[in-house]
Amino acid sequence: MSTSDIRRRDRLQRALGRTRSATRLVFRRRDSLLVLATVTSLYLLLYLWAIGHLSPGLGGFDLLVVSDPLSKLLQPELGPFSFTPVARVAVGPVTYLFSLNTVLGLGIAGLVGLNAALTYLVWRQPSACGIGRSSTGLLAGIPALLSGTACCGPVILLVLGVQASGVLLTGFQLLLPVAVMMLLGSLLLVGRQVTVQG
Amino acid sequence: MTPSRRGFLAGAGLVALAGCLGNSTSELSGSRSLPTAEEQLPLPTSPENLRDAARSGGPPKDGIPSIDEPAFLDASEAGFLADGDPVFGVVRDGVAKAYPQKILAKHEIVNDSLAGTPVTVTYCPLTGTVQGFERGNTTFGVSGRLINSNLVMYDRHTDTWWPQMLATSIPGPWNGDPEIQSLREFRLVWTSWKQWRDQNPETEVLSTETGHAKNYSRDPYGSYNPPGGYYANETLLFGGLNPSDRFDPKRVVMGLRTPDGAAAFAKNALREAGQLEGAVGGTPILAVFDGRYDTAYGYLNPDERSFDRDGNRLVDAAGTSHEPDALPLSRVHTFDAMWFAWAGYYPETNVYQ
Repeated sequence: MSTSDIRRRDRLQRALGRTRSATRLVFRRRDSLLVLATVTSLYLLLYLWAIGHLSPGLGGFDLLVVSDPLSKLLQPELGPFSFTPVARVAVGPVTYLFSLNTVLGLGIAGLVGLNAALTYLVWRQPSACGIGRSSTGLLAGIPALLSGTACCGPVILLVLGVQASGVLLTGFQLLLPVAVMMLLGSLLLVGRQVTVQG
Repeated sequence: MTPSRRGFLAGAGLVALAGCLGNSTSELSGSRSLPTAEEQLPLPTSPENLRDAARSGGPPKDGIPSIDEPAFLDASEAGFLADGDPVFGVVRDGVAKAYPQKILAKHEIVNDSLAGTPVTVTYCPLTGTVQGFERGNTTFGVSGRLINSNLVMYDRHTDTWWPQMLATSIPGPWNGDPEIQSLREFRLVWTSWKQWRDQNPETEVLSTETGHAKNYSRDPYGSYNPPGGYYANETLLFGGLNPSDRFDPKRVVMGLRTPDGAAAFAKNALREAGQLEGAVGGTPILAVFDGRYDTAYGYLNPDERSFDRDGNRLVDAAGTSHEPDALPLSRVHTFDAMWFAWAGYYPETNVYQ
């Protein structure tokens, strides 16, 4: 292993260590925990709305669970990261569909929330530099919001009026994993800037 | 970091597992008994070329789930329908049924029965086409593939592909050498809920209790009531086979085809004129508008008989009055389609306006 490789590995380990410490700090401080909870909740709602699982419904109050929900939970619906809803909750004007996407969305929302909480901590530390980078965490959450699909084709293409090519469709199938990778990368970028005392 | 990575790997594992499970289909066993048409309908190119023109619409096989155990309501119980909402109606042996567009937009296929005959009711949102077929002992599902932006169905006995508008089998990846034959079609009237209910007050309506957790108030493509989104703009999501700029791509035509050819009547022109003459494969045809449902019917008219309009009825030379759907001529299966889809599948079509 060359010297530069060793330096790179050391830098990565340092960043990982600082991010771990910073993450623990997020959970120890009430203000950063509030940022985490707020951003996670808001992002989850936004994600569910973007994929059409939280939207205006037919009205009334209703709970429907499909037959044999566990076997259907893992069934893909409209694309590789779109899963079949197994329950429908209608509460007045709003209808919520529960699927594995809620679990995936919660995971992504947690990463976005953590990015926001770490950004908050960096902001609270006047000595920290590179504050501009800290916004990447929120930007990294955008691809997942665009991953919603209609019966055929991504919703965003319908909105923009763009014809779906094979390349575009493949690209849209990658949006969710890309978002996760970007959020993890961003977490490291921001986390390494937080200095945890003691 | 570690927990996040574990979480991601677990998620990726779930997705991979789901990919495996997702290909399981509800295939039917035994031999297929499917009533087919006596003559094959025209295809725009060879069945093999059609197979090669197929593309993924995004969803996997059965990712758009057909309704296999439909439930129905009385008209008075269909509070989820507004007067102007589109429904697809059919009357068989005195029993009227309406299939709301907002439900079919999420399922595209309903495996049902009419007066004891097993049928399948199909709808493709991207081409604006509704087709009814007899299905024998099989059921149809959504393949997830599109040709000419149009739904490609498959039958669950032989996995044969059946493009909806063509109503004819073609080879596909799951059955590479099917017998090329056409389905027996029946007409569904594309109309508004109010118009259908006014004419058929005892109608049954497909219930939103489909066994699937869907939100039927949300049509991701757009809206027909009022017109908006994909249904009203000029943008195509997947394109057509044979582009034509003769009309706006989403303009609605009433299309009919016989083994000898195809013809299309601009629907708004029919609405204004009441009736239009044309020809298909050299045989004179007549299309008449029906104001009761805002729809039209096509007839072969080899003797070029003429009819006078009396309100919504048509009067023949002997002075006998007929409803637009019951002229004393041979009726040809006629259905609504977006122009780009009709021209894409029938580029040699005659056009009348």
